[in-house]
Amino acid sequence: MAHMNMLQQLIYYYQQNGAYVLSQFARHFLISIYGVLFAAIIGIPIGIFIAHHSRLSATVIAIANVIQTVPSLAMLSIIMIGLGLGVNTVVVTVFLYALLPIIKNTYTGMQNVSPTILDSGKGMGMTRWQILRIVELPLSLSVIMAGLRNALVLAIGITAIGTFVGAGGLGDIIIRGTNATDGGAIILAGALPTALMAIISDLILGWIEKKADPTQK
Amino acid sequence: MQKIKKWILGAVATVASVFVLAGCGFPGLAGTSSDTVRIASQNTTEQQVMAYMIQDMIQHYSKMNTTIINNLGSGTVSFNALKNKQADISAIRYTGTDLSTILGEKVDRAHIKETDQKVRDQFDTKYQMHYFPSYGFADTYAFMVTKQTAKKYNLKTVSDMKKVASKLTVGLDQTWLERKGDGYDAFQTLYGYQFGKTYPMQIGLVYDALESGKMDAILGYSTDGRIGSYDLTILKDNKNFFPPYNASAVATNAILKQHPQLKPILSRLNGKISLKTMQNLNYQVDNDLVEPEVVAKQFLEQHNYFEGSDK
Repeated sequence: MAHMNMLQQLIYYYQQNGAYVLSQFARHFLISIYGVLFAAIIGIPIGIFIAHHSRLSATVIAIANVIQTVPSLAMLSIIMIGLGLGVNTVVVTVFLYALLPIIKNTYTGMQNVSPTILDSGKGMGMTRWQILRIVELPLSLSVIMAGLRNALVLAIGITAIGTFVGAGGLGDIIIRGTNATDGGAIILAGALPTALMAIISDLILGWIEKKADPTQK
Repeated sequence: MQKIKKWILGAVATVASVFVLAGCGFPGLAGTSSDTVRIASQNTTEQQVMAYMIQDMIQHYSKMNTTIINNLGSGTVSFNALKNKQADISAIRYTGTDLSTILGEKVDRAHIKETDQKVRDQFDTKYQMHYFPSYGFADTYAFMVTKQTAKKYNLKTVSDMKKVASKLTVGLDQTWLERKGDGYDAFQTLYGYQFGKTYPMQIGLVYDALESGKMDAILGYSTDGRIGSYDLTILKDNKNFFPPYNASAVATNAILKQHPQLKPILSRLNGKISLKTMQNLNYQVDNDLVEPEVVAKQFLEQHNYFEGSDK
């Protein structure tokens, strides 16, 4: 293969291993999505809760901040002690890192809803649940979406490191490239789809974020 | 107060549901459910090829879920994964390595043939793991030189290097330098010489270093595909320094009991892969940019998943 240049090698690589790359791409994406999904299930209610009980907000966000400062490789290793090798460890790591952007954005979004609107809702005789559902959530949805967007892009990067605990994903291809003798093309073959995945999910969620903003209609 | 109780209840319910979900596994993501057969693989080419081969065999003959725990750093890490029940099958284990690193025994050079049986027995009794019969190849450490160097100094065996050893620059596997029992220290004692300069290197890089003339001799793996393509000369280990590193699959007794159909499936690979075959498979990965997964699948398809080899 030495007679080919990097680009030719890359194209040849995709021709030979297309199905494999695609399956790792799907795996990588699913690991990231599951982590973010769980973070959303837990993080959004927490965000709403601390927005209503602002005394707690400083503590909760501080905890999420601390989680964020742990280097990802260290976090992965710590969780590996408990959960062992494999994909579950990576999903939990992604979950922990995705918490902060989601909690913080939900909190900020809820805080930004003007108190006058809330008052008028209360004046109309809405229950707390109705205010949350009809007033607060729709108004803060675009900010919450921005948090999910941050979280997903972060998650895709972290999943790439998951290869060190044997979770698979596109990181496998990158690491194999670093072990191979002339692995430049293989590294690119793994890194390009990873970057592409991050960029595309960012664009799509950005588009949804815009659509969700009620002031843009 | 009532509200807070509701919130706490809700939070607890969500957390619980997450854990329940995690127990059943995430749809579409192999390796997350608890009945998955987990295959441990190290970060070398041949480990990965064999791991995918095992996975393909299991998927071809049964409906079991499988996943590969890839890129483990060493044989010890992959052994511990099996021991701690984080994995069920080790794609390849080498009897010689396991004898010195896992069982901590000295190589008995007078009874070299009994090594395999000894390792097999001890793995069964000490660790409740089943050592399968060899795939049919041994991945032995071997000293190699280029054809020209071999001619120049008239080298045929490792002993022949003694007279020129002080002039030689040698590339060595970094883990081998520190190994006890079959490492560099023991080597010096047995062969009675040491090299002029030694460079600890990533094992994948030594062949090219030799080919490009940066090294005079290297310690590499006998199964590497580049031995054939660079036309390297393997020096005979005339004092039997390296124990036989016969390559086998190892599975925990627990998983073989849980899935009785596993044993016959894995046994189909016994003796099917010769040294030449393994060199060839490695070569496709290391030189032809084909992924281990693709190489494994193509090989099994060519041989029809060894359908005929039932007993």
